[in-house]
Amino acid sequence: MGAETDPTATIDNELSALREAFLPRFRAATTEQTLRDENAKILGKKGELTRILAMLGKAPPEGRKAIGAKVNALKQEVEAGFETCLRDLRKAGREADLSAPPFDLTLPGRVPVALGHKHPISIVREEVVAVFRQLGFAVHDGPDVEHEANNFTKLGFPPDHPATDMQDSFWTKSNHLLRTHTSNIQIRAMTTLKPPMAFIAPGTVYRRDDDATHSPMFHQIEAFLIDRKVTLAHLKGVLAEFAERLFGPNTPVRLRPSYFPFVEPGAEVDIGCVFCKQSDGTRAGCSLCKHTGYIEVLGCGMIHPVVLENCNIDPDEWSGFALGMGLERIAMLRYGIPNIKLMFDNDPRFLAQF
Amino acid sequence: MKASCNWLRELVPQLDASPKDIAARFTAAGLEVEGIVEFGAATDSCVVASVVSMRPHPTKSGLRLVTVDRGGPQQELVCGAPNVPDPGGLVVLAPLGTHLPAKNMTIGKRAIAGVESEGMLCSEDELGLGDDHDGILVLPAGSAKPGDRLSKAFPWMRDTILEINLTPNRPDGLGHIGLGREIAALYGFSFAVPDVVGTGTGTGTGEIGQLVTIEVRDPERCPHYGAAAVVDITIAPSPTTRYRLQSLGVRSISNVVDVTNLVMLAWGHPMHAFDLDRVRGNRIIVRRANEGEKLTTLDGIERTLVSDDLLICDGEGPVALAGIMGGASSEIQPDTKRVLFEVAWFDPRSVRRTGRRHGMHTESSHRFERGVDPGDVAQVLEHAVAMTRSLAGGNAAKHRMHVQDTRIAGEPTPPARRAITLRAHRLADLLGIDVPFTEAVAILERLGCAVVSKNDKSCDVLVPTHRPDLGREVDLVEEVIRVLGMDAIPAELPAVRASRDVGGHEELARRAREAAISVGLSEAITYGFTSARALEALGAPKPTVLLKNPLGEHHAVMRTSLLPGLLDAVANARRQSEREVREFTIGPVFLQAKAGGDGLPNEQLRIGVVLAGERGGWLEKPQALDAWDAKGYAVAIAQRLGGTPAKVVAVPATREEAQVHAPHLHPRGAAFLELGGRRIGSFGPLHPDAAEAFGLDVGVLVAEIDLEPFVTGPLLPQYATIPRFPAATRDVALVVKDEIRAGEVESAVRAAAGPLAEGVQLFDRFVGGPIPAGSSSLAFHVVYRAADRTLTDAEVDAAHANVVKAVGDRFGATLR
Repeated sequence: MGAETDPTATIDNELSALREAFLPRFRAATTEQTLRDENAKILGKKGELTRILAMLGKAPPEGRKAIGAKVNALKQEVEAGFETCLRDLRKAGREADLSAPPFDLTLPGRVPVALGHKHPISIVREEVVAVFRQLGFAVHDGPDVEHEANNFTKLGFPPDHPATDMQDSFWTKSNHLLRTHTSNIQIRAMTTLKPPMAFIAPGTVYRRDDDATHSPMFHQIEAFLIDRKVTLAHLKGVLAEFAERLFGPNTPVRLRPSYFPFVEPGAEVDIGCVFCKQSDGTRAGCSLCKHTGYIEVLGCGMIHPVVLENCNIDPDEWSGFALGMGLERIAMLRYGIPNIKLMFDNDPRFLAQF
Repeated sequence: MKASCNWLRELVPQLDASPKDIAARFTAAGLEVEGIVEFGAATDSCVVASVVSMRPHPTKSGLRLVTVDRGGPQQELVCGAPNVPDPGGLVVLAPLGTHLPAKNMTIGKRAIAGVESEGMLCSEDELGLGDDHDGILVLPAGSAKPGDRLSKAFPWMRDTILEINLTPNRPDGLGHIGLGREIAALYGFSFAVPDVVGTGTGTGTGEIGQLVTIEVRDPERCPHYGAAAVVDITIAPSPTTRYRLQSLGVRSISNVVDVTNLVMLAWGHPMHAFDLDRVRGNRIIVRRANEGEKLTTLDGIERTLVSDDLLICDGEGPVALAGIMGGASSEIQPDTKRVLFEVAWFDPRSVRRTGRRHGMHTESSHRFERGVDPGDVAQVLEHAVAMTRSLAGGNAAKHRMHVQDTRIAGEPTPPARRAITLRAHRLADLLGIDVPFTEAVAILERLGCAVVSKNDKSCDVLVPTHRPDLGREVDLVEEVIRVLGMDAIPAELPAVRASRDVGGHEELARRAREAAISVGLSEAITYGFTSARALEALGAPKPTVLLKNPLGEHHAVMRTSLLPGLLDAVANARRQSEREVREFTIGPVFLQAKAGGDGLPNEQLRIGVVLAGERGGWLEKPQALDAWDAKGYAVAIAQRLGGTPAKVVAVPATREEAQVHAPHLHPRGAAFLELGGRRIGSFGPLHPDAAEAFGLDVGVLVAEIDLEPFVTGPLLPQYATIPRFPAATRDVALVVKDEIRAGEVESAVRAAAGPLAEGVQLFDRFVGGPIPAGSSSLAFHVVYRAADRTLTDAEVDAAHANVVKAVGDRFGATLR
């Protein structure tokens, strides 16, 4: 019976019904999946439009082309409608996502490992070493327990002289001592290597002082350069460069003559106060620099000819400079640490600040 | 050293710079002025007043109403002092508004017991002139007019004092003459040592040689002993010298004692005054002490002496510790009539040794041990004699006595002056600037050097005896730049000829630090010294470096383990209620010296780690850290240090091994760390006994790793081809008895899986539930892959089947 029935009218009806219905059906979808399901119900292998198209075979041949064109037109409409709805749905979804309440980023961040903290003394130590490495100096190690000769005698400390008061030492039962400064490395380098040499020597040092401003163990870093025609001007140049790199551009450097047995001339070095520096580079003066605008940071000088001679280096051929500083002091200046004792308590709340 | 600006101006009349300017000059020349103190500042605003009348306070006994004349208006004041002089007497009035810095008070209008008082009569103490506060300052009658400003009428009550921090090489700066010479040289003024009145002949009847005999038995320690005597003196207070001494921090005692102090402050050369009538036997003997000999010094302490101590003795025994402190027996007394002055030169080293031995540090020893001028003995002696005669009257005994080794004479032989050649080119060679040679020479002359010959290229210089620090050419170069000022030196970067690292420990420590930081540890800096007890509690090697003079038992030995310092850090944190500690420290341990070495201990660089607290964040439930955390940190640090290819293995210790090699660890959790088969450290939970010794509870984990094996740097990774074919992963969960260790099972899985197994990884350990007690389920991922093809399921299944069978056979493990 079907063969005789011309389905054209039915097809037309169904096509118009579908044309009316597909967009509202798409619009009704609230998720991408339901939209896709809806689309499949129309365009899928067993979809409504496919079913309509299947009726085409029963239509008179002369009408088929027109019907086919209609079906195709509707198909394109449906496809376009689907794309539009899909786009709208995605857009709405994204907007909903974007406008949803923010994440609570006050919750702690999630990291694979929270980095630990270097000790402030180590931070300064590494930085000073890096500055001097850039200037061409290499690192020379030395021991904490040392021969008296390397720590005092060869450095020209006169026996029973008050100069040794400045460095009251710990002695071991085997008559060695805990080095009182890193200057022992000068002797070690000069007695084992030939000039020229340029070394930086960081290390732990010990003095018999234990009060509010002294720790019996602390750290120094020493730099020395020996070559032909090394002058005080070179020392000043290196100090200026050092101050610039460690304390910032245009940090003024001032040398004041002073006395250390192993240098001559010897000097203390002041740099522009880091606490009362103004934006124009001047210093206003503060209690920490005693209103001088300068703070003392290190000691230095030209290596004493006696020291060179003690190491079999001819002082008429070679000259050199040495400079040394306390790392605790630099760290305290940089980080505003008020008390040296804090450095050795190793309180986790202290260490976590650096 | 406190320096009086007034005194410096007396010595250098051209000096009219302000104290601040003078201080800056001194500082720039290496004599660092640390403070400027105004002495008697109140005397600028206080005035002289004469007492007009006095009546009792209407209501309050003990107080009086004093009417004074202040040079015009009269005024009535309330005064509580007991020593208000009779009418006509001169006192000091602080008028309304005066600030008294010594008391940090400003005089305001106030009512005292109902009576208004506009001003105050002051004591020395209130004026900042002394510590006398028993009564108001009464000025000598007729010494000033009422209304005179106090500082104008009595200029010696007002001074500016420079506090100079002298370096130990400048003993000349410990006297005003030396400082005067220095400041004159700095300003370019001429300087002349003040003329000391005295001739050495004396006017007295006696001859010094008849009054006393002097014998120096140790001329090495006392190469020069000078003596003079003044007789018929009157000991009295010394009003004219007291303020100068007070301003310089010295108490005025009596005229003669003040003389010794003033002369010392003038020349920097300490001296001693004996009451000649108390010098028994009229003999002075300079000798070394007998072992065990006793002397009670002026501070009241009985000293037991050794043969290295130098003594001044009289006919019966010791009277002074040479150059340091006198004894009570021959001290100047109020009834002293004849004084014997000693001016000597003692060997600095000897004075220093004795001072340190007896824990004594005096104004005298401070100067002698730095080296006083050996050339000024005669002048110092004359100065003392002259000043004594002007302050205490009397007559000098005829002649002086100078004992120099075996020579005894009225005049000393001047000490030899050191001669130094200064080559002109050394100035530029060392300073990096051209200093005209004539300018350099002029500077040296201003400082007291005598230039004996000079040409364009060099000069010969005789160094003054007051500058023991000028020993060689370079010292003269320093003098030149010191006076010129170091600001004259330009900053010039040298062309550095690079050196190579020596030792490598700094870089090694830096790498270890980075490794430890990267796993979340924070750095502690721990002391090199610890106590023998702490090391023993940890079973660490016995200390080999013992300190002779430690600050205490807690710091008496050098550590043989890094752990005591770290455990102290945990204990510290616990005291602060901080539970979370994850710290490391890097530093040497001090072990037995290596045979055939330099005799110094073997300083082995290590890293130590301590962990305490909990693991976990806001997502998981926190759990106490355990042995596996220790393992994780220890292995990670070593692996990072060793580089990717390094074979870092954790090896559990047997009970016996733990007892011998890691007694500080809990035997259940003790393990060693190996690098390429070599043991480099240990880790695990702290042994409860050790924890107890450090005052800690359980739950502290430690690790200690030797860093030396890593000194050559991390091994370089070698590139391996990235696989082109996919891997197939199979999981297997095996139920095994607890006594079988996971590591063994894992090795067995690896072996059984054969060459196709690329990796084996334990991903779960499960106990309880369906797993029988005493067993656990271990689950592994096994990753199979071939380099040249995609494996078929059949190949993988075959390999994996072998795993199940082999492990089952070997351990009796069953599939879960």
